[in-house]
Amino acid sequence: MKHPSQATLALHAGGDLGPIARWRTERHLTRCERCREEVAAFETVRDMLPGLAQIPEIPWNRLAAEMKANIRLGLAAGECVRGTLPLRDTPLFTGARAAVAFASILALMATSFILERPVPQLAKDERPMAQATGNGIEVSGNGQTLRLMHPGGGDVDVTFSVGAQGTVGARYTDPKTGYMTINRVYAE
Amino acid sequence: MRLSIVGLLGVASLLAQDAPLPSSSIAINFPKDSPVSVLQVQTGESRATARGAALVLDLHMALSLRNSSSNRIHGVTLRVFSQEVTMGGKASVSIPSLDIAPFEAFPVRIDVQLVRPTQVAGGPLVEVNLDGVLFQDLSFFGPDRLNSRRTMTAWELEAQRDRTYYKRVLAQGGKFGLQQQALQSIARQAQLPQVGVRVRHGQAVTSAAMPAGERTAQFAFLKFPDSPVDPVDGWAQLSGNEVRSPRIQVINKSNKPVKYVEFGWLVRDRSGEQFVATLPSADADLLLPPGRTGRVLQETALQFERSGQPLNIQSMTGFVSQVEFADGKVWVPNRQSLENTTLLNVMAPSAEEQRLTDIYRKRGLDALIAELGKF
Repeated sequence: MKHPSQATLALHAGGDLGPIARWRTERHLTRCERCREEVAAFETVRDMLPGLAQIPEIPWNRLAAEMKANIRLGLAAGECVRGTLPLRDTPLFTGARAAVAFASILALMATSFILERPVPQLAKDERPMAQATGNGIEVSGNGQTLRLMHPGGGDVDVTFSVGAQGTVGARYTDPKTGYMTINRVYAE
Repeated sequence: MRLSIVGLLGVASLLAQDAPLPSSSIAINFPKDSPVSVLQVQTGESRATARGAALVLDLHMALSLRNSSSNRIHGVTLRVFSQEVTMGGKASVSIPSLDIAPFEAFPVRIDVQLVRPTQVAGGPLVEVNLDGVLFQDLSFFGPDRLNSRRTMTAWELEAQRDRTYYKRVLAQGGKFGLQQQALQSIARQAQLPQVGVRVRHGQAVTSAAMPAGERTAQFAFLKFPDSPVDPVDGWAQLSGNEVRSPRIQVINKSNKPVKYVEFGWLVRDRSGEQFVATLPSADADLLLPPGRTGRVLQETALQFERSGQPLNIQSMTGFVSQVEFADGKVWVPNRQSLENTTLLNVMAPSAEEQRLTDIYRKRGLDALIAELGKF
């Protein structure tokens, strides 16, 4: 046997079911002892609720008068502390306020830019360094540089290479000799 | 006292402003038994120029060398160094892909610039020595202080590999096929990312060298079927645009002892672009018998940037790019392996392929075909 849901039984106990649902529920209740007990329990609880809803008498007028007095006292104290100019008459953008606002906006923009594009920091190192430059490859250190130059301009294709043992290479066809030439510098 | 020194330096700098340098500023020293002799040295355009507090020394050398041996020369490396600058800083100028007959002369140009804060002292500013000569039969002469033997041998093997490939393309596809191959190579070269890299070698000497947010990243590996050495495991420290202290465990698959392994090191940034560096083994650390494992490591720091902006390095891939056996033989990847792993798209072409495509670009298809016919 299929029993009505708890919600249906509760609504039936309160007389809140529609005509068809009520007819079906009553038909079921005539045959089902357990559901009849459920409905009876709901009706008992429903009878108890009006009693629970009663609350003791509250002196609303006296309470309202005390609250008004406290608000007035607070406003008077605020006037004493704030000085003569009322808040509503203060200009919205004074110099200090504008500076703080702009600084906050700038900080927000800078933070969002950094978070969006995290740029790794270059480590400082004092070891001799080899690298390619615009027109050559060089090894440098201690304020001095040894550079091997290669021909510049668009006519010469230069292919660079790097070796983990501290070498940088530049490879090109020398326009004057016609020979493939490979320059290398060593930061070993 | 300090004021007088500063004054003297200032006067000296002013006197040196855009002044020609004497020929004694450059010393060229070749061994007496060298298979290459110096016919002529021209240094006419060398000058010293004061720029602010620094002195810039431009040294231009036009050398005329001659093959005084009985073998054909296929490569030359000259060592260029300055005792006074950058704690003995050194450089080299190499001419690979040569084919110089006995007693034939050939030109070499070297353009060096020194920047130093003080006035020039006496004696040569720059010395040029012979570091090595590679012959057609891969024999070698020279003090080899810059490992020129291995480097030039690898270049020569790459040159033979790529010439053979281009000749095959010509034989199979005709002139049109060769032209398409050259154009594809030029397009690949044009698409290679232009990235600035700074490299420092050795242990960091400042406490500020440890950047925040450093993490250990593992290498992914590309393996070639015919490689005598395979990578097993590897990692490096990543922090922003800096990669430090790479270490790779390798195993020798061949039946010969290996004394040098070089890795190609692909570094990928956030946008997915890849940049290639080389990671050689430190010479003293590696002698790998057959079947044994060893480590390729370098105390080094590489910093990547593009247009002055540091790049965020995300991941790394390694592949074996060169192996030298104890008997001096050198292995480089074959063309098929590079094509199969699409490395050709991210790596710079070999020096020879760059030379061949330069010939096509400047002198045309017939000149390229004629050049291939010389070898």
